[in-house]
Amino acid sequence: MLHNLPWLFLALPLLAAAIDWLLLFRSPRAAATVSILSVVATLALCVAYLAGLQTGLPDVYSWLPIEGCAINVGLLMDALSMKMMLVVTGIGALVHIFSLGYMKDDSSNHSRYFAGLSIFMFSMSAIVLADSLIMTFIGWEMVGFSSYVLIGHWYEKESAADAAKKAFITNRVGDFGFLIGILLALGVFGSLRFDAMPGHLAIAASGPLLTTMILCLFCGAIGKSAQFPLHVWLPDAMEGPTPVSALIHAATMVAAGVYMLVRLQVSMGTDVFTDTACSVIAAVGALTSLLAALMATQQDDLKRVLAYSTLSQLGYMVMAAGMLAGEAAMFHLYTHAWFKALLFLAAGALIVCCHHEQDIWKLGGLRKKMPLTSLCFLMGTCALIAFPGFSGFFSKEAILDAAWQTSMPLFVTGAVVAALTTFYMVRLCLVTFCGEAKSEGASHAHEAGSTMLIPLLVLSVLAIVSGYGFIADELVPYAGFHAEGVEVGVPFFAGLLALVVGAWLAWLIYGKSAHRDPLGDYTLARILRNRLYIDAFYDKVLVDGVQKWGSYIITCVDDGILRRIIGQGLGLLTAWVGKLLGKIQGGSLRGYAIVGGIGVLLLIFLLAFSIKL
Amino acid sequence: MNPAISALLFYLFALAALVSAIGVIVLRNPVSSALSLALCFGFVAAIFFNMGAAFLGITQIIVYAGAILVLFLFIIMMLDVKSEDHTSGLLRHSVVGVLVAGMLAGMISSAALRLPGAVGGSCPWHAFTESLCSELCPAAASTDPSASELQASISAPAPYGGALPTLDPAKRGADAKLLGQNLFSHYNLTLVILGFALLAGCVGAVSVGRRLRRD
Amino acid sequence: MTPLSHYLIFSGILFAIGFAGTMIRRNVLVVLMCLELMLTAANVSLVGFSRAQGLEGVPVYDAQTLALFIMAIAAAEVAVGLALIVAMFRARRGVESSSLNTLKD
Repeated sequence: MLHNLPWLFLALPLLAAAIDWLLLFRSPRAAATVSILSVVATLALCVAYLAGLQTGLPDVYSWLPIEGCAINVGLLMDALSMKMMLVVTGIGALVHIFSLGYMKDDSSNHSRYFAGLSIFMFSMSAIVLADSLIMTFIGWEMVGFSSYVLIGHWYEKESAADAAKKAFITNRVGDFGFLIGILLALGVFGSLRFDAMPGHLAIAASGPLLTTMILCLFCGAIGKSAQFPLHVWLPDAMEGPTPVSALIHAATMVAAGVYMLVRLQVSMGTDVFTDTACSVIAAVGALTSLLAALMATQQDDLKRVLAYSTLSQLGYMVMAAGMLAGEAAMFHLYTHAWFKALLFLAAGALIVCCHHEQDIWKLGGLRKKMPLTSLCFLMGTCALIAFPGFSGFFSKEAILDAAWQTSMPLFVTGAVVAALTTFYMVRLCLVTFCGEAKSEGASHAHEAGSTMLIPLLVLSVLAIVSGYGFIADELVPYAGFHAEGVEVGVPFFAGLLALVVGAWLAWLIYGKSAHRDPLGDYTLARILRNRLYIDAFYDKVLVDGVQKWGSYIITCVDDGILRRIIGQGLGLLTAWVGKLLGKIQGGSLRGYAIVGGIGVLLLIFLLAFSIKL
Repeated sequence: MNPAISALLFYLFALAALVSAIGVIVLRNPVSSALSLALCFGFVAAIFFNMGAAFLGITQIIVYAGAILVLFLFIIMMLDVKSEDHTSGLLRHSVVGVLVAGMLAGMISSAALRLPGAVGGSCPWHAFTESLCSELCPAAASTDPSASELQASISAPAPYGGALPTLDPAKRGADAKLLGQNLFSHYNLTLVILGFALLAGCVGAVSVGRRLRRD
Repeated sequence: MTPLSHYLIFSGILFAIGFAGTMIRRNVLVVLMCLELMLTAANVSLVGFSRAQGLEGVPVYDAQTLALFIMAIAAAEVAVGLALIVAMFRARRGVESSSLNTLKD
């Protein structure tokens, strides 16, 4: 019985979601309590396991007993998954608590919100603990669903509903490739279990096949981790409540793509990752990282800046995964989870306290009104821009080190992105916290409540210390991880240089208080602000094109073929046959007798003359 | 009785029965049709006697000629049915009907002549259908020796050809007795069910034929 | 002396005549008579088979029993049929089969 304890990781959140949704729909306070209890319980369980609790292997349930490729539902409990679970449940618990304060004055249904959070915790745990690609895929789809529900939490707002749909549909594109990749993996390995697909099985397969398989699987990561060209959904997903952005769209779900890649590298072995596949993955990561950082420099929405920075950091991780530096990727994933959750939650506190004002040019001077929150945000920023001594510094160094050893272009890209990151984050801090308040909401800001401050403080501490070896060695989700001390070399100086250049430029441009972006008039800035017109391109070409084709199909196929030819044609045919048969059915008894007689003749002919016994 | 006389009598009665049967459908007055039918049934009863089925012959006369025909006549009189007048389409129907019926008769006849060991197996219709069959499905028509052997073993006694087996004159009087024994031993249950069928027929006739109350 | 096939041919022709009657005549009464004719024709062949299968100078009485059943059923059929004809006559004032075409419209 005890060995089935790990199933609680899945059962508790699911149960909480069911209770919230089915029983406590009208009592939001109780619903929140149930959700928080479930996530705290899973966190405690996770800590217990990491502290050395041994209960043996959980049962595996047979789901589809197909001959040759039986599909089972099981849990994989290794260092990678359990430490990842700690990140998920830890941030999950803090975000749940933070949500209490954040949603206090909100008029929407909190039961739905907390049920959504719980179902997300369930789905995310399913991904992390999955023991086969099929299970991963199921969790993959479920996090997509819960993300859809939570982005669209304020579904009365049209932009939120649109963003939810955009996130879901964009993810479908990636998931399609992912599914194909899973089937290819089944063909190559004959099994989808992570512990049954060692690389030597794949040696027989040809290189192009392996490349295709890896890239198809990577498609899933492109969708879920919002890599170029499917990155467009993530900034729009900021329409959801900010704690959701912190949990799902910064710390955990979007990192699932990276987690999946590293999981594959661990279970298949890095030999399976052909050079071509690796180059493509690293290039996509680097490109995403660069483009997102560029776009972030000209965003005016507080959360959107953070969203683009998330994109950029995810690009970093994917790049590291593409360089087969899974260790560095997971290290960055882990530190990024803490400090990005911190940044988002702090941004959420700011937004709530400034009466839902998100435009940074209308904020300002918050340093004095919300000192604690501002300090927490500053801690997060320092971690993000890799200020020496903060956690992000160590993990970013690890990635730059790996890039330095692998390829020059990737290293240069990484350094440039680091500089850009510093630039836009310093810009954000200067505009938001310094100077004077520039709007009604910001001038009446006040310090956040304790339910919001406590998670912020906890995360601040983690954002600083989580990069140091004594904690990282224990908690980074990678088997046998060992934090290297920072070497004083080219990557170190490149990082420092990027930091200094970015901060200096930002100080130069944004040091003075202003009501709008001083760079806003330049063409390049306008292009960046409009996200390189990628979204517009998708809207115009893909969406409109598909709709045009759709309407063409409707007029042509539906109206023309189906209605005219098949619908009316069949009607006419039936009527014609009916008339023909109606003549036989003339109501004349003698006619019936004659027809019957001819039938009898045929029968006799068949029976007596044709069939020989 | 002398077999030759018996055969002669059969052909005579058969001819008479066929002629009176044709009278049933040719005569225009229903009363004449009914009387012609009675005549036909009488000849058929005579054939039954000739074949040694005395009980059936008697039943034929009592049930058919006695009861059913009287019922027919009674209804004809009651409804005062006039004789059919010529209407359009009679000729057409007659031609088609005679054609179909002629084909039917031809087929039955040729099938009868094709019975195992039957005399006159080389009738032209038979030969025609034979060739047609072999052309349509050569596999079925091909003579498989084992199949024909099997067929021979199945219908080994093959009494259908040639003359009918003669009856034992000593047992002629026991016809009704033997039939009754068979009826009440082997077919007892069927007989009971038949009784119910007759009852249902009676009830049905009454319920259908009763005058509906007009209200 | 007379072979079975001749009985069968006689029976077949009798049946065909009855069948022709059902196709040609419009009077439902006569059609009913023709049905009786056909049943009788079947009886003739049954009796013929009973003779042909006979052993030890006795016919096989199974076939004759069946013929007896046919007669009984024919009697029931005539009773119901005539009742129907009477009902039809009341409704249509005639016994022409061509008047039975109201379902068509």
